Amino acid sequence: MNRPSSSPGINIVPLIIIAVVVIIGGIVLSTFAPLFFPAQGSAQAQQIDTLFQVMLAIGGGLFLLVQFLIFYSAIRFRIKDENDRSDGPPIHGNNTLEIVWTAVPAVVVVILVIYSYAVFSAIQTPLENEYTVEVLGRRFAWTFTYTAAPDVLDPATGLPVEFSDGNLYTYVGQNLRLEMTSVDVNHAFWVPEMRIKQDLLVGRITEMRFTPIIATGPAEDGLYYPQAGFPIRCAELCGDGHGNMGLISTLVVFATQEDYQAWFDARVFEGLNPPDDPAVFGEQILAAAQYPCAGCHTLTDLGWAGITGPNLDGIGDRADDRVGGESAESYLINSLRHPQRFIVPGFSSALMPQFVEDNPDDRNYMPDQDAVAIAAYLCTQTTTGESACSVDELNAVAASEVTQTGTGAQ
Amino acid sequence: MQQDVMEPQLSRQELLTLKNRRTGMAIFQISWIMVFVCLILVNLQVRNNFTSWPPEGVAKLGLGLPTLATLMLLASGFFVYRALKAVQADQAFSPSWRMALALGAGFILIMAWEWLNAPVTADVNQQYGVVFRVMTAFHAIHALVIGLYMFRVDRFRAYYNARNSWAVEAGAKLWYFVIAAWIMFYTVLYWI
Amino acid sequence: MASSVASLPIGGLRTSQGKQITLRDLLGWSVDHKVIGVQYGITALIFFIIGGTLAMLIRWELLTPALDLMANGSAYNSLFSLHGTVMIFLWIIPMGAAFGNYVVPLQLGAKDMAFPWLNAFAFWMIPPAGFFMLLGWFVGPPEAGWTSYPPLSTMFTPDGQTMWAISLHLLGISSILGAINFIVTIANMRPEGMGWFQMPLFCWAILATSIIIVMATPFLAGALTLLILDRVAGTAFFNPAGGGDVLLWQNIFWFYSHPAVYIMVLPAFGIISEVLSTHSRKPIFGYRMIALSSMAIAVVGFTVWAHHMFTALTPTLRIPFMITSMIIAVPTGIKVFSWLGTIWGGKIRWTSAMLFALGFLSMFVIGGINGVMLGSIPFDLHVHDTYFVVSHLHFVLFGGSVFGLFAGIYHWFPKVTGRMLNERLGKLHFALAYPSFFLTFFPMQIAGILGMPRRVAIYAPELQQWNVLISIASFVLGISTFVLLYNIVISVRSGKIAGANPWRALSMEWATTSPPPATNFIGDPVPYKDPYGYGTKESAAYLDTIEKRFGETEPGAGEKAGQALEVPSGD
Ligand code: HEA
Ligand code: HEA
Ligand code: CUA
Ligand SMILES: [Cu+2]
Repeated sequence: MNRPSSSPGINIVPLIIIAVVVIIGGIVLSTFAPLFFPAQGSAQAQQIDTLFQVMLAIGGGLFLLVQFLIFYSAIRFRIKDENDRSDGPPIHGNNTLEIVWTAVPAVVVVILVIYSYAVFSAIQTPLENEYTVEVLGRRFAWTFTYTAAPDVLDPATGLPVEFSDGNLYTYVGQNLRLEMTSVDVNHAFWVPEMRIKQDLLVGRITEMRFTPIIATGPAEDGLYYPQAGFPIRCAELCGDGHGNMGLISTLVVFATQEDYQAWFDARVFEGLNPPDDPAVFGEQILAAAQYPCAGCHTLTDLGWAGITGPNLDGIGDRADDRVGGESAESYLINSLRHPQRFIVPGFSSALMPQFVEDNPDDRNYMPDQDAVAIAAYLCTQTTTGESACSVDELNAVAASEVTQTGTGAQ
Repeated sequence: MQQDVMEPQLSRQELLTLKNRRTGMAIFQISWIMVFVCLILVNLQVRNNFTSWPPEGVAKLGLGLPTLATLMLLASGFFVYRALKAVQADQAFSPSWRMALALGAGFILIMAWEWLNAPVTADVNQQYGVVFRVMTAFHAIHALVIGLYMFRVDRFRAYYNARNSWAVEAGAKLWYFVIAAWIMFYTVLYWI
Repeated sequence: MASSVASLPIGGLRTSQGKQITLRDLLGWSVDHKVIGVQYGITALIFFIIGGTLAMLIRWELLTPALDLMANGSAYNSLFSLHGTVMIFLWIIPMGAAFGNYVVPLQLGAKDMAFPWLNAFAFWMIPPAGFFMLLGWFVGPPEAGWTSYPPLSTMFTPDGQTMWAISLHLLGISSILGAINFIVTIANMRPEGMGWFQMPLFCWAILATSIIIVMATPFLAGALTLLILDRVAGTAFFNPAGGGDVLLWQNIFWFYSHPAVYIMVLPAFGIISEVLSTHSRKPIFGYRMIALSSMAIAVVGFTVWAHHMFTALTPTLRIPFMITSMIIAVPTGIKVFSWLGTIWGGKIRWTSAMLFALGFLSMFVIGGINGVMLGSIPFDLHVHDTYFVVSHLHFVLFGGSVFGLFAGIYHWFPKVTGRMLNERLGKLHFALAYPSFFLTFFPMQIAGILGMPRRVAIYAPELQQWNVLISIASFVLGISTFVLLYNIVISVRSGKIAGANPWRALSMEWATTSPPPATNFIGDPVPYKDPYGYGTKESAAYLDTIEKRFGETEPGAGEKAGQALEVPSGD
């Protein structure tokens, strides 16, 4: 195709005006961005936000340029007379222009790649004094496992104390490293305020790191954010309760290391000195979300609102006649040990994990002591507040049930 | 190829049809071979998850019979080529064609035997045997279907001559495809 | 030059009035590419309505932060899983094939596609495959999203997931067969005097699309085979407990599905090139660069797949994919700026086709720029799997592909039916769709940045205001689609008679009657030397000759094609 190299005397002045308007426009657009950011919660968030603003300035400028050209052409070059049959000028191209609009985006892209790479490696490199929390994702809850300092030993095992919680606790300035994996399907850990996201993959261990810079808690001079903590969202489709999984756990950032340590020590103490009353102990375990029940069940007393599994409000009243021939004790213990035995009508059998008692390394390990405590607590969920079962009977049922790894559904 | 000798007899329309069929066949081959490439990449990624391949405690597949099968398949390729030349020169193509079919059948039988005897364990290490089975079965299905088509071509051998040889050519080219795919699989399954 | 005009051997030497495609043709087996094209189109539109209805249910559910319309999370999950799959595999891709089938042979002056029988066969795989997928509702529909990541899709979803996989397998094979047909047709059946670089850009786009289909879709076939085996035969390719790997699927799936996004948008690019040039009466700007950039996009498109896995991949492996992803902006930018160069200084007609083409340009660019932002790893870590991505994908798929396809409908409808679509309704459609589209999908970016994950039926209450805005706008967008459907239905029977070449376009599909006769052209047609050579005396003379030979756009010509009920219509 022959292309008459017609350069219809390009006037430089409007070009410069357009360029200036576009650049300023992009920068102005990018200044609106912070309006739509969640709180800037981590050191990493600051770098990412700046990167975004730079991209928005460039992208916004391009956006303005292209939209302007479209609207301007559409209106300016629209034919005035419906019956006008004439054609536009037979211009087939212009080499200079084509080189410019290939080269300029190429340069922009190179800049963006280098800048993005710099930010990425900055937020990716290990930091000093990192504290590692293990994160376990499962349908549909999070478990965070904390390890105490090496000198705090558990008398039962002789190993450093470990405890689990359904929320993630940290303090301003802590270099946190999360070591994550998943039991069943992939999940993704995301705290919008921290701007960081990482998938939890079955069969693999992934890691992410961030350093919080603002605290949660009661508001004081604007520095404190939601009392309950920053919500932890699940950002990878994981099934029925995926939406709820993004609403049940939070990231709590203490303002100082001392506050954090106080919380930590209290948890260690609790772990080493469980209360005698199983019902109280059960409530403590459940409230700390050591087991992933909150993601699926509703239990108003503990603030659970899951809908994937049966509602547990008032379970003590129903437990002994839900299934004919099963006592309340047997029904509850069995529902933990063999969840597929007594499916509540309308619910799916495959969802609830089977909690086993023989293998401490199993993800779903639950010693008899915990099973009894949980059942004992659930038995107190009655209208009168009276417990519906006896602890001895619970112990007896639990002892007679031996649930081994690999026998049940999951 | 030397089809020009015969092709002047074809009308313009017939020539275009033939040209289209040849291009179409080539593109189909490029395209479908990608599925085999995909399975090879799967094989490579699967073994990447193990420290050794075959995994600890699984016996490596024997080389003897499969190599024999591979040689048979290569030989069948040669006979298919001879048959194609023959039909294009208006000679009887059936003898070579049947020879190729017989060799192909031998290949499939050997591979069926290999398939049935692949190492299968119940645990994680099953992957070695499973990948092998999936790949060879996938290949064998293609070999079988194309083999059946070639068998059918042979039954109607009287219809084909130099002017009307596309069915034979198609069969031959599909069979080359089976051979090419197998060479790739053979290398990956037994040599790397 | 003008002296040679009279002897131009244009179009066919003679022509006969084409036969209207009847309902009976459409329901039966036909090997005529024109019938098949229309069959593709109608099937795709039906699936568009199904996919759109699912979208309306999604938006209805999301009016409130709680789960209220749907029974449970799974029911919601199946909504967007089927919405995504239906829109992509049963609407966009078949609709691209519809235009390809109808237009490519005509633009090449060919009598039909290279393999007419195969063409029909490829089409007839689609309705049963789509139907089979939807039958999944009866056994439990797929719930794992259109991306269906295992182990969710292998171990935790009902049997509808298997049907989904089988159906996609069939659709994939259908599109491979279709693509082979296109490549052979374009490579072998160009007329005398049409070299590669005299070919209309729509053919280039379909060629690039077909090359991607041929090279990439087999990977989908491979992945689905393994998925089905994992589900029904007890293998463990994607199950770590059996030695498998969850990222294996993601790698193969995206190796197909990223190139697939260009399968979805390149035909629209082709349509836009035709429409912008014709309706602004100016040659396409930088023809060669547009043609070659399609090829560049096709090639680079194969190297970017893991940008969908930035939050899953080992960190160092992410970087090369960031680089290639961003590079795609360069060839795409060439196209965008060339289109702007095309309309600049033209004689623009505000036809419905042109409006949608301009709408395409303006919305696609937003989606594309979002894409480049997503390509930047640190930012993607924040917005991956949020409504920011949902926004991006609808800007490129709806604002891009679908607006492009709408432009194609307005542009080629007269050729297909011999009648014009009602322009006033067309403009109404655009006036409703363009702003409501923007208001539906732009706020999603803000919601995403603010913290709204995708694929959730339950979300944080503070995000409700954005979702209400989005939902209301989306209902307007839904309603606007009825304007198009209504327009099509009334215009088929009673639109203005179009004549051969209502837009005075130079490419060869316009150099025969509308609708074209069974063999398209009689004799061997010769194309005008430059399909975009507007603005010369020579081309004007050529167009006048066409008009004389095949009839002008006026009521009365070709009356026998149908009862011309005069309907009050715009222009
Ligand atoms: C038609 C379909 C289509 C098209 C064309 C594109 C085009 C692009 N896409 Fe998009 N994409 C999708 C469909 C599409 N995408 C879908 C469906 C998903 C979601 C899948 C899912 O998870 O469900 C997705 C997701 C997606 C992601 C993953 C997001 C995530 O999940 O975290 C990324 C990340 O890199 C990405 C990038 C890009 C890029 C860089 C382009 C580029 O090709 C864009 C190029 C265009 C331009 C840049 C505009 C014009 C150019 C200029 C004006 C020149 C100057 C510009 C610059 C210098 C910036 N896309
Ligand atoms: C071509 C592709 C395409 C098209 C055209 C659309 C069109 C629309 N999409 Fe879709 N969408 C996808 C492809 C597409 N989408 C993909 C790939 C996903 C990802 C899926 C996944 O996560 O796996 C997705 C996901 C997706 C989501 C995210 C769901 C989630 O993550 O939870 C949402 C949410 O708002 C949405 C909305 C819409 C809307 C409102 C439209 C509208 O524009 C539709 C308008 C059209 C109509 C409505 C048709 C006419 C309507 C009728 C005939 C019905 C009756 C009308 C009324 C009741 C008013 N889409
Ligand atoms: Cu866990 Cu989504
Ligand atoms: Cu992509």
